[in-house]
Amino acid sequence: MEVSRRDFMHIAAIFGLGVASNAFGGGIKQASDIKLEDIYDFKDTGNITLLHMCDMHAHIKPLYWREPSTLISAPNLVGTPGFLCGESFAKFYGLEPSSLDAYFDTYIDFVSLAHKFGKMGGIAHMKSVIDYVKKARGKDKVLLLDSGDTWQGTGVALKSKGEAIVKAQNYLGVDVMVGHWEFTYGKEQVKNLIDKLDGKFISQNIVGDDPFSDEYEELIFEPYTIEERGGAKIGIIGQSFPFTSTANPKEFTQGWSFGLRLDTLQEYVDELRKEKKVDCVVVLSHDGFSVDQEVARRVHGIDFILSGHTHDPAPKPIQINNTVIVIAGSHGKYIGRLDIDAKDGKVRDYEYKLIPIASKLIPADREGERLVEKLYAPYRKELNEVLGKTKGLLYKRDTFFSTFDQLINDAIMDEMGCDISFTPGYRWGTTILPGGNILMDNVYEMCGITYPNVYTFELKGSKIAQLLEDIADNVFNANPLYQQGGDMSRLGGVTYSIAISNPAGKRISNLKVGGKPLDPNKTYVVSSWGGNLQKAGSNLRKNKIRPVYEIVRDYIKKKGVVDVSNEGNVTLLDYSCGCPKKGKKSC
Amino acid sequence: MERREFFKTVGAVAAVSAVLPTVSFAKSGNPNKMDYKTAISAVTNGKQPKMSDKVKLKVPEIAENGAVVPVTVIVDSPMTPQNYVKSIHIFSTKNSNARCLDTNLSPANGKAMVATRIKLNGTQEVIAVVELSNGEFLMNKKSIKVTIGGCG
Repeated sequence: MEVSRRDFMHIAAIFGLGVASNAFGGGIKQASDIKLEDIYDFKDTGNITLLHMCDMHAHIKPLYWREPSTLISAPNLVGTPGFLCGESFAKFYGLEPSSLDAYFDTYIDFVSLAHKFGKMGGIAHMKSVIDYVKKARGKDKVLLLDSGDTWQGTGVALKSKGEAIVKAQNYLGVDVMVGHWEFTYGKEQVKNLIDKLDGKFISQNIVGDDPFSDEYEELIFEPYTIEERGGAKIGIIGQSFPFTSTANPKEFTQGWSFGLRLDTLQEYVDELRKEKKVDCVVVLSHDGFSVDQEVARRVHGIDFILSGHTHDPAPKPIQINNTVIVIAGSHGKYIGRLDIDAKDGKVRDYEYKLIPIASKLIPADREGERLVEKLYAPYRKELNEVLGKTKGLLYKRDTFFSTFDQLINDAIMDEMGCDISFTPGYRWGTTILPGGNILMDNVYEMCGITYPNVYTFELKGSKIAQLLEDIADNVFNANPLYQQGGDMSRLGGVTYSIAISNPAGKRISNLKVGGKPLDPNKTYVVSSWGGNLQKAGSNLRKNKIRPVYEIVRDYIKKKGVVDVSNEGNVTLLDYSCGCPKKGKKSC
Repeated sequence: MERREFFKTVGAVAAVSAVLPTVSFAKSGNPNKMDYKTAISAVTNGKQPKMSDKVKLKVPEIAENGAVVPVTVIVDSPMTPQNYVKSIHIFSTKNSNARCLDTNLSPANGKAMVATRIKLNGTQEVIAVVELSNGEFLMNKKSIKVTIGGCG
């Protein structure tokens, strides 16, 4: 039998068959029934293999990570790749219920499948996959590319200022990377870490903008690199997160200007093709999946975009004009394998598969396990401390609300005594199964950033309403180029209704604080972290400033067992479910 | 190096504009208090500028800092004494002072290009209006989002 292009679907079918036979034969099919070779199965194609990872967020150990149960966007985008979740995701990609890929790619039946299939990712398991592919294909054909958001996201990363993760990248063999959260260690540390990185850090879209600096109007990093593999020249252009300076504090990158810079991107594509005569043009990107679809419409001559930032697991590549776009999920859950047949300046064929890093199925590489131990060693005592237990599932993600964010808001409101608490709509974090222990490590996984302070200050009601509209327009803008790829800020103490398809500034209604309608003229006490809201407020309570992870730690310790309701605080007016299908308001 | 030349050009343009302030505003009242449509009309003497791809407006999609938004206008023009760009104007649609920049050029500039930084008080459109030596007016516009930001 000829193995089809859709190997991943093929595995899904195998798993699906397993599930079907259970229905007749009874008994639960064990993860061990699914063979490693099903995961590795691939139709070798052409002369080059690109292995792709993105948004690992420093998770060197395996974790549980539940995909969103709400992923709402503007009506023109909903139900398209980048805005698919749950049932609409399973249907779009043809996933079998209860299969390994349904577990990896959707929230459906997450807890019971988590018990069955176990944790995801981890460098020791990723390395086994990388080694397997290198051995099967020949080292000289394989490149490992990293779309960034790798250095930040765990306690080990934060405490070592990213250095532990660079060691992990060197162990994995990362050849080229771009960045986003990397920059939150500050310019100097970014440069230090790049010195320690065996691979290359490239970006065509970061330019000096301080007129008094030598870097003024100069590129900060090499815009591209040309790598030779399998007898072909591969031109790789770097695209770091275009909105780093608005999404994260400016002071970390003072003097560097970001942006999409599509005109220079086009120039580099042309240069690689016409002058450097490469066989294949790749953009290694942290733009986000939907933005990169727009990039493919506007920039011509890119063969492949290896995308990142929005954390989408996309089992099938999408093609726009002549550009193929792939994205490999988040948190080390997947490695994307892209085989390319490129010769004489042309791509003739390709094969793609999103490989799930199922830690129960893929054996751990010993050296990787030892490295994780070593990297954890200096912080083990603090990170392994059990703070308490959770009654229900603690998860992150979703467009408006998640239980772990609610726990953080509860902790902040409890300590600060504020009317409203703002927690950022980041897409990274962790998941803890019902009844599970909450470790200090988990708290850092949710809020381990280099600007962790919770600020408490005063904001007028009218300003709060305006800010919410502004944030909503960043998340729900119909034009992907004006989105910044995050979810809505999570609000404690507030309930509201939202109509996504309304024009900017008119989406939010029925805004209530502490159960009472928001008074535009009243001054409210607001606490927030991870953003710059405090700059919009007044009467900052300087004596109350404290890192969010300490506040959350103390709150969990005080509670012992946390019981967070999964009832959200936002009423969605124009969609009837969290994962609508294309062109629909329902699922 | 093209970049250096560009800065020389910009420098030259700035010098020219300092010497020759635009006169049309003087007839039409205080230009700093006009809405953008009136301000454009004052520059063009009531003529409606034509949307044109010859006017290239380079702006960020999302402003990194609303107080200093880099804007570059490049006009596709031979810049010969017979056919050149006489002036380049930049307007914003929602600033209380819609008029951001007026520059006068001559064939001696060699290239019809200006780069500046403007202040934007919120998400709005930026409009470049260009006067050609034959008296024709061209324009182009781009939307710029100014936001407090916050995501990841």
